[in-house]
Amino acid sequence: MAAGYNHSVEPLLKYRIRVKKENCRPDGRELGEFRTTTLNIGSVSTADGSALVKIGNTTIICGIKAELTAPPVDAPNKGYIVPNVDLPPLCSSRFRPGPPGEQAQAASQFIADVIESSQVIRREDICIEKGKLCWVLYCDIMCLDYDGNILDACIIALIAALKNVQLPEVNINTETELAEVNMKQKKHLNITKHPVGSSFAVFDDTIIIVDPTAEEEELSTGMITVVTDENEKLCAVHKPGGTALSGEKLQDCISRAITRNREVSKLINEVMQSAKLK
Amino acid sequence: ETPHCLVHTMEVEESSTHPTTALREFGCEQNLLSRPDGSASFVQGDTSVLAGVYGPAEVKVSKEIYDRATMEVLIQPKVGLPAILSLSAGHTRFSLFYLCPVSLLLSRRYKASLCVSVCLCVQGPQLLACSLNAACMALMDAGLPMRCLFCGVTCAIDPEGHIHTDPTAAQERESRAVMTFAIDSAERRVMMSSTKGSFSVSELQQCIAVSQRASGKIFQFYRDSVSRRYSKML
Amino acid sequence: MRETPLSNCERQFLLTAIKEKKRLDGRQTYDYRNIKITFGTQYGCCIVDLGKTSRVLAQVSCELVAPKENRPTEGILFFNLELSQMASPAFEPSRQSELLVKLNRQLERCLRNSKCIDTESLCVVSGAKVWQVRVDVHVLNHDGNIMDASSIAAITALCHFRRPDVCVQGEEVTVFTPEERDPVPLSIYHMPICVSFSFFEQGTYLLVDPCEREERVMDGLLVIAMNKHREMCSVQSSGGIMLLKEQVLRCSKIASVKVAEVTELINKALENDKKARYVFEFL
Repeated sequence: MAAGYNHSVEPLLKYRIRVKKENCRPDGRELGEFRTTTLNIGSVSTADGSALVKIGNTTIICGIKAELTAPPVDAPNKGYIVPNVDLPPLCSSRFRPGPPGEQAQAASQFIADVIESSQVIRREDICIEKGKLCWVLYCDIMCLDYDGNILDACIIALIAALKNVQLPEVNINTETELAEVNMKQKKHLNITKHPVGSSFAVFDDTIIIVDPTAEEEELSTGMITVVTDENEKLCAVHKPGGTALSGEKLQDCISRAITRNREVSKLINEVMQSAKLK
Repeated sequence: ETPHCLVHTMEVEESSTHPTTALREFGCEQNLLSRPDGSASFVQGDTSVLAGVYGPAEVKVSKEIYDRATMEVLIQPKVGLPAILSLSAGHTRFSLFYLCPVSLLLSRRYKASLCVSVCLCVQGPQLLACSLNAACMALMDAGLPMRCLFCGVTCAIDPEGHIHTDPTAAQERESRAVMTFAIDSAERRVMMSSTKGSFSVSELQQCIAVSQRASGKIFQFYRDSVSRRYSKML
Repeated sequence: MRETPLSNCERQFLLTAIKEKKRLDGRQTYDYRNIKITFGTQYGCCIVDLGKTSRVLAQVSCELVAPKENRPTEGILFFNLELSQMASPAFEPSRQSELLVKLNRQLERCLRNSKCIDTESLCVVSGAKVWQVRVDVHVLNHDGNIMDASSIAAITALCHFRRPDVCVQGEEVTVFTPEERDPVPLSIYHMPICVSFSFFEQGTYLLVDPCEREERVMDGLLVIAMNKHREMCSVQSSGGIMLLKEQVLRCSKIASVKVAEVTELINKALENDKKARYVFEFL
């Protein structure tokens, strides 16, 4: 494997010493600095909503497809949101073709959790008629280029794509009981919250760096992702194992995540505005 | 050789100084299965989990990782197929997958394979915390070299903002946010965190502090049950 | 993870011991290991231990589903036996091994095809809603004779299980929680139990309830499912061994004795559990 053989103790030590001494990372960033984030919305014309996000080299595309279906039996007044993260072999040599691997499954589950916890969309809003008809939003998130920190990019792509979605009006004909779709009347989704994630890589509790690249992720001894919404509330503090962190260090991460939220919200708003002008 | 079994439960009472760190009664049994290299069951309130550990053993060539040991975590829900995991069971799998290598000294065991198999006997609330405890006790039972022990603590924040450790199923359902932390035994730091729902920063810090206090009781319980087990053998 | 192979001298040792009518754990040829039956806190959860090592857990659950089209008035029974990797390192997860298919098939033949459960009583609304009873059997520790342990665990769990009570008013089906109305047991006609016999040296030697080591050196296996009324429910011979009529008849005689003992044991365990629950409720 190409991603392989430089990974032993030596580069890790070298990396750590350099970062400590110079307070600067191999790509010239400071420890708390994100890579340049760019956003493009409506990039896939066949999807009901889409967005393309780049954080440095990491490229994530999200397409949303809406379909009509019957609501779940246990919650007849709710619709479905089904996220799926795909890490194809295309994006990095570390992934192989076939069924989704550990990382892709974990990412899908994390995105599903963020949607549920932050209440991005109230699931009641996408129900058309209680117990009969609702929308199901398939959010397909695909990585085109893997260079670390995909979770942050996935969340930005998802939120931007959801803001881009326009659903046609659906009425149920009282006589025939069939759904009638009015393609001329389209409405945006009601996005109630804007969660933004910030990922950190931990090196033995001494160095915490923000927005790690793929190489830094590989060298790190732990990862943590903090998701906040615009009201400075936390939606997820996701730390899947790795080096243990004290409460104070965690607090530093959260503070950085809150400022990051403002930056990203600004970016999404600017892009939405410019899209409207077109 | 007959496997040595020992059941012992301990009631952790609500202490007056820290009223929020109340944990329900829990019990454990180590070395209850003969085939796995280490096994343990952990019962906490209505939840009970059985964990088995195999390894280190020879690894299959297809699964080999060149610079570290291969880890496998399997979860078996009591009802339904293991391929279709509920959300909480899936969480448990990933958490254990990322957590075990940290507490174990695995880095030098190239070409070794380790399998942690968890059977969810009663699927109650705080499955994750209970599974972590069972897995840790099974790893201990297997005698694998470990850097530190870990334990899982669940906290729920109710709509009024009160924090409950070890919530019951009803408390969990009504709560605004639920968090599960894995705390390490060495410095009581947060090894893993998994959250549901939204909450403020100060609530998070309070929950961590409460979990750290509660973890002390669980580690004491680990210590008591192991020392009791070996005192009978010696 | 690969299973440690059985060495030639171990194999020789086992076979010689069997020829001398000796067994590893000191049992006689026809002895069963000690059977221990315990129940979980939920209804329909049963753990069976054979000796100190083999352990199997069965859990019964149920849900309301639409019936099969050709049987609109019958409930559905579903069996699922899982060989978890916890039981033995050789069991591969998510693979349909030959052993797994064989065990599942045998369990179905023993419990579904023997019609021991009244499936018609599981019908709620004909053609629309019936109970699907699901039996999940997990092998937790494999030390031989999974089949017998699974069949005992499954039938005991079915006897122990209580389904929620329902009330039908027109089209409306109300399912009561245990607090509203006591859950009801399934109606069970009889209790078929599997007894395994392993044969060695082309059928010259026979052992009841083989342990895992013995299973590794056996030539063939005969599984007889029988109830306490000495009615045979299924007979299955595997391993490609030729058996004489007399041998099969002798096995069936042994089976009838064993089944009577096991049934007695199950009834006693159920009784004890009932008492314990009764006491618990009134405390």
